[in-house]
Amino acid sequence: MKHWKKILFWGLAISLGLVISLAPMPVKATSSNQKLFKIQASRFAFSPAVLAVNPGDQVTIELVSQDVVHGLSIDGYDLHLVADPGQTASMTFTAGQAGSYTLRCSETCGAMHPFMVGKLQVGGNDLLWRAAGLALLAVIAGVWWKRV
Amino acid sequence: MREKLARWIVILLLLVTVMGVAAAWKARSDEGILHARLPEHGGWIPGDLRATVGQPLTIRMTSDDVTHSFAVGQMDMQAVNINPGEMSEVTLNFDRPGKYTFYCTRWCGADHWRMRGTIEVSGAGMEEPVKYEPPLYLRLGLDIDAEHHAQFLPSQEPSAARGARLEHRLPQQYTSWEYYISHSPSSAWQELRNDRSLSDLSDAELWDLAAYAWAQHSPPEAVQTGAGLYKENCAACHGETGDGEGVFANELAGDTHALDGHATTTPTDFSDEEHMLGAAPAVLHGKIIRGGMGTGMPYWGPIFTDEQVWALVSYLWTYQFNFSMEVTQ
Amino acid sequence: MFAPGESRLNLARLRVLDKLIKSRWPLLLARSITLAGFVFTILVGLLGSPVGSHNFAIIFVWIAWWTALKLFFIPLGGRSWCSVCPLPMPGEWLQNGSLLTKAQKSIGLGMRWPRRLRGNWLASGLFLLIGIFSALTLTDARLTAWILLGLLGTAMLLSLIFERRAFCSYVCPIGGFTGIYAKTAPLEVRVIDSDICKSHAEKTCYTHCPWGVYPLAMRDSSQCGLCMECLRVCTYDNISLNLRPFGSDLGQTNSITRLDETLLALVMLSSALSFSAVFIGPWGWLKSAAYDVGSTAWWAYTGAYLALSLLVLPGLYTLAVWWSQKTGQAKAPFKRLLADYSQALLPLGLFTWIAFTIDFAFPKFSYVLQVLSDPFGWGWNLVGTSGVSLPSALLGAAPVLQVGAVVVGLFWSANLSQRLVAKQVQPARARRAILPLAGFSLLFSLTMLLLLLG
Repeated sequence: MKHWKKILFWGLAISLGLVISLAPMPVKATSSNQKLFKIQASRFAFSPAVLAVNPGDQVTIELVSQDVVHGLSIDGYDLHLVADPGQTASMTFTAGQAGSYTLRCSETCGAMHPFMVGKLQVGGNDLLWRAAGLALLAVIAGVWWKRV
Repeated sequence: MREKLARWIVILLLLVTVMGVAAAWKARSDEGILHARLPEHGGWIPGDLRATVGQPLTIRMTSDDVTHSFAVGQMDMQAVNINPGEMSEVTLNFDRPGKYTFYCTRWCGADHWRMRGTIEVSGAGMEEPVKYEPPLYLRLGLDIDAEHHAQFLPSQEPSAARGARLEHRLPQQYTSWEYYISHSPSSAWQELRNDRSLSDLSDAELWDLAAYAWAQHSPPEAVQTGAGLYKENCAACHGETGDGEGVFANELAGDTHALDGHATTTPTDFSDEEHMLGAAPAVLHGKIIRGGMGTGMPYWGPIFTDEQVWALVSYLWTYQFNFSMEVTQ
Repeated sequence: MFAPGESRLNLARLRVLDKLIKSRWPLLLARSITLAGFVFTILVGLLGSPVGSHNFAIIFVWIAWWTALKLFFIPLGGRSWCSVCPLPMPGEWLQNGSLLTKAQKSIGLGMRWPRRLRGNWLASGLFLLIGIFSALTLTDARLTAWILLGLLGTAMLLSLIFERRAFCSYVCPIGGFTGIYAKTAPLEVRVIDSDICKSHAEKTCYTHCPWGVYPLAMRDSSQCGLCMECLRVCTYDNISLNLRPFGSDLGQTNSITRLDETLLALVMLSSALSFSAVFIGPWGWLKSAAYDVGSTAWWAYTGAYLALSLLVLPGLYTLAVWWSQKTGQAKAPFKRLLADYSQALLPLGLFTWIAFTIDFAFPKFSYVLQVLSDPFGWGWNLVGTSGVSLPSALLGAAPVLQVGAVVVGLFWSANLSQRLVAKQVQPARARRAILPLAGFSLLFSLTMLLLLLG
């Protein structure tokens, strides 16, 4: 009996967890757009720091450095910009798969340089919603689960 | 016995570590490294180097904070990047004794231009040291700090190409080098207007002729060189489009300067007709080499060759004149 | 090998391990090496490049060691780092007059640690202090070196004034949180047969314990530094080093109220939030504020960090416990509940720190390879890895791992709350009495997820 309950509990929790993690999210049909971001880089921030685009968008980034030489690279993209003050650098790329990708300064620009980051948000932030769902499930399961 | 062994192990490991670091430190100290730092943190350390004519000077450099770079003023060399935590090397050859200025070519704040140091080169040169010659603006007796408002302004952008079609009407003295350096476009236009023989030409046509005359001293190669120099050295304050709205413009708009308390003003807007058309090329030349007293404008005399300064002046005219030889109209 | 009825595996019964544990040499050698490494780190911190990302001291302390501590030493071994930590070694050498044995005569006053300063209060305070200066500490090699030197000096000084490892037990900011999180870890030193101990008058284990812990009285692993000295000196071979289920120390009702542990657990939670916001968030003004020590912005940051650590989170937690007590009509005194229920904050905190460390350190592992080749940041290339950078595709897995860590910690925490509440209230009221506590954990985790992924 208790064994049966255990299996049922974990079966239910795991399948719910899988549903939350993997269920396809409604995809908004979007035509690919041109997006232009003029990013000001100063020690130790990008402004704007969060770039919201949709998969397939033609994204142009203009990097304007405000103080010292800064760079810009994006996790998961083989792209690299370097901007000196007074010399705006720009690049254009096609946004790929949906997800969050960290922008990083790629030219050492002082003490906090390793933490000079921003974010390219392609599509909706599904992961955050799924994570929130999983967190809720974890709390409920934690409260229900009793060691047998 | 065992205790002794344990102690020896601990002490030996510590000793090896300390001696290893000491050896590394000693090996490095002997190299004499040039450190690049933000000007507010010391700039070049050391700021004065010595060399001898005929003996190559090898400098190892590193940056302690951000990306910098090294170049020697008026020397035909590729600037060498200096990255934080990395080592760069440059070897210089001097064939003439004298005082050279080395400087950082990558902007590292509004004070970037203060990152300069000197190299004292001693020894007998192949030539004698250059005799002192007063700068051009002094020889011409120009007061480069005086206001220079243009008294006359064109109604449309003057075009050298259009002016070229009237070339045969332009009296020769206007195209001479001496005339060019000592006259502002506005005064040149005024003299053209006062010329009886040209009274049939419209105001705009005379402006085109002035543009044509100026274009004679601004060949495309010079404009291109000037554009490159402008991008690297001027755009951070004067703006990439010459509008005076560079990224450091706001900092300069403040009344006094952080480092030395000197007053600063907003950078010149090169698209401002009244300001630019009232300036003689020699005035611009003077401002570039001497800097603007109390404005925050650095002095570039020890950095640029005369040719480079004139190339920059030529480039600055492109904010007022269309030097393109293709007729757009 | 397994004690009857218990899911414990006594590692000291495995022949190979037994030799390694019972001999003083392996740990002594390990500590000699870490001590040399420690001194090396300090020297490089002082002499090497001021550029943090190219200085061995910064990268090894804050990236490599920190990651190892959070992802390996603590979750799998509790205070296992303490067993090889070099900090107490020089002082203890003076204190004991010997490296291997406790000599008869020793230098030092051998005073008892003041009662009022017992517990984790000082450790919490020091951790907050490091947190206040975190942006500077994590990027300034000189400061890092001075902090390490300061810790070493303090440890030595305290060894000479007080008995045993006073520094480790009550002062070390790392030891503090390592200790409370050690309760979740699957490793413990325990007495095998308590009857033998009761009849043993000499208590060699206690007299030899550098931590001043009496194994028989150990209620959890938080104060045990896994130095294995008791295993070596026990006349009856009555002490075991056990592999145990995760979280074995958790879920009990304690006879003493340890609010210092509650505070430390909350400080660790608030620090995880604050560090995530500063180092992982995209807010440049916050980074500058945390970095510009002494500026108005920095004071505001400090105020906010301290308020979060000492007012907001403790306030919310107290509210949750109060609410839980009210709905569950728990009989135990409120203070006792505050202390007992805070055990649920330990798995929550540990896994939150794991998630933070993944995001904080993973992208910077190429620096580790670089400083191996060029520890001083002088442009060397000793082992050919100075220009290496790891493919950024590796980072793709990081967010998923972080979500996993947060979710596991939350499940564990909620489950622990449930077990703790069940001990205090009637079964009929238990479910409702858990809600405020589970709600606190959920709210915290969601905030953390927002900072990590938002």
